[in-house]
Amino acid sequence: MSVSLECKKIKRTGFIPAFLGGGILAALIPIVNMAVRSKNYIGLSNPPLQILLDANWQMMAMLNVLLIISGACIMYHIEYADNAIQRMKTLPRRESNMFFGKFVLIMGMFIIIFSIEVAALAFCSLKWFPHYTDLGIDLLKNFGYCIILTLPSILLSLVISSACKNMWVSLGIGVVCVFTATMLSAKNFVLSLFPFALPFQTFAGTAPDKVMQYIVAAIIEMVIIAIAEIVFLKVRRAFE
Amino acid sequence: MSFLSLVGVEFSKIRRSKIILILLIATVILWLPSIFNADMNFKMQSEGISPENNFLIQGFMGMAWFMFPASMVVGTVLISQTERSNNGILKMLALPVSTVKLCLAKFVVLLALAAVQILMTTGMYFISSAIATGIQNYEFMLSPLFVFKEAGLIFLSSIPMIAFFWMLSVCITTPIFSIGIGLASIVPSVLMINTKIWFAYPMCYPFYVIASEYGKLATKLSDSEVSLIPWLPVAAILTIICLAVSCIRFGQAERR
Repeated sequence: MSVSLECKKIKRTGFIPAFLGGGILAALIPIVNMAVRSKNYIGLSNPPLQILLDANWQMMAMLNVLLIISGACIMYHIEYADNAIQRMKTLPRRESNMFFGKFVLIMGMFIIIFSIEVAALAFCSLKWFPHYTDLGIDLLKNFGYCIILTLPSILLSLVISSACKNMWVSLGIGVVCVFTATMLSAKNFVLSLFPFALPFQTFAGTAPDKVMQYIVAAIIEMVIIAIAEIVFLKVRRAFE
Repeated sequence: MSFLSLVGVEFSKIRRSKIILILLIATVILWLPSIFNADMNFKMQSEGISPENNFLIQGFMGMAWFMFPASMVVGTVLISQTERSNNGILKMLALPVSTVKLCLAKFVVLLALAAVQILMTTGMYFISSAIATGIQNYEFMLSPLFVFKEAGLIFLSSIPMIAFFWMLSVCITTPIFSIGIGLASIVPSVLMINTKIWFAYPMCYPFYVIASEYGKLATKLSDSEVSLIPWLPVAAILTIICLAVSCIRFGQAERR
């Protein structure tokens, strides 16, 4: 119920076209990159998907994270802008349900965006690396891995924007977090667990035991962030 | 109302916005890794750049590529949303003040935010280079004149970009599009500085300028001199177009 309600709320905010536009833009990056500079990549010895991800995933992930942050800002901005949130609080519903409704909605949009991006990557590897046999399985593994690692950043950016009444504060904090994520070195395991740094990880080229560690860490982060948000909402309600 | 007092009014509007705090946190985070990784600067001598120059330019490059443009997008959101949130813009438009002046006053505030952020980054540079000097026993501090010259270059080269962001936030009243287009336009600037038509893309100017300064200081890298001729006229024309469009469009969505 609350997910369908959230869908109705975002109808006229331009949320869906913005996400689709961002996804298509991110999907164009590998295609354009391969079309312009295919010579730099074709001769490399790595598996083709790893070559493609190494070359393009940083920028695609950056676009994804920026989309997440602006999407989360908008979703709470429409609540705070004309005090709609006060009405939501008077309804016989938990405030955290609204939060998780928004989370499910962004996650759903993200699965669509990732499908567009994966389709673009599949197109690139079919066109420029025709002798690649394990394409389907590798792509699916990457797809699942990236989605799991993106979820903590969705949750955290929703927490930030639910905590701040003003959109520029939440956007500013989100931008600072993304910037921090780009400054952290990927070699340090603990630092790369920062929720906004996780979406920059790729499945290809990561050792299998590391993959499991990342997945477990992402799930733990999600649980912690979700509990923190529920507690935060209760505390804020008690003091308002 | 004179233009100056309008600018003063605009400044008092954003007084309680906490934007300065956000910008300050960003600059602190920018320099922290530089302090911890100060010893990396000695390895860069193979490129022919001295450690103290590398320390400064790497930090400024980190700012110019993402942090600075993204903060300017946040600044445009701040300025437009403080007015729109409680229909304050309607009251401003009802005053006998020309909308062009109003629009330009807000743009001046945005420029001031940019200047504040660059000044804070420069201030943090002096602090962090002093700390790095203490840790590494090597003089990282450069002459203030040189540092301020680099900072000034970033500021001047960012004016077209800021004008573009300002046009976005004035023309596109749906916030997610103005934010999204603004943030998304920053990401390709890394690619654009390597192309021949970089001068047509205002978002990469600050990064291009600082990257070419790096090329000048590193004797072994290829010298990528900034060619002023196609750039300055194009940048001036782009700035004027962006400002003109935003002045014309300012307040039109509300006046309908």
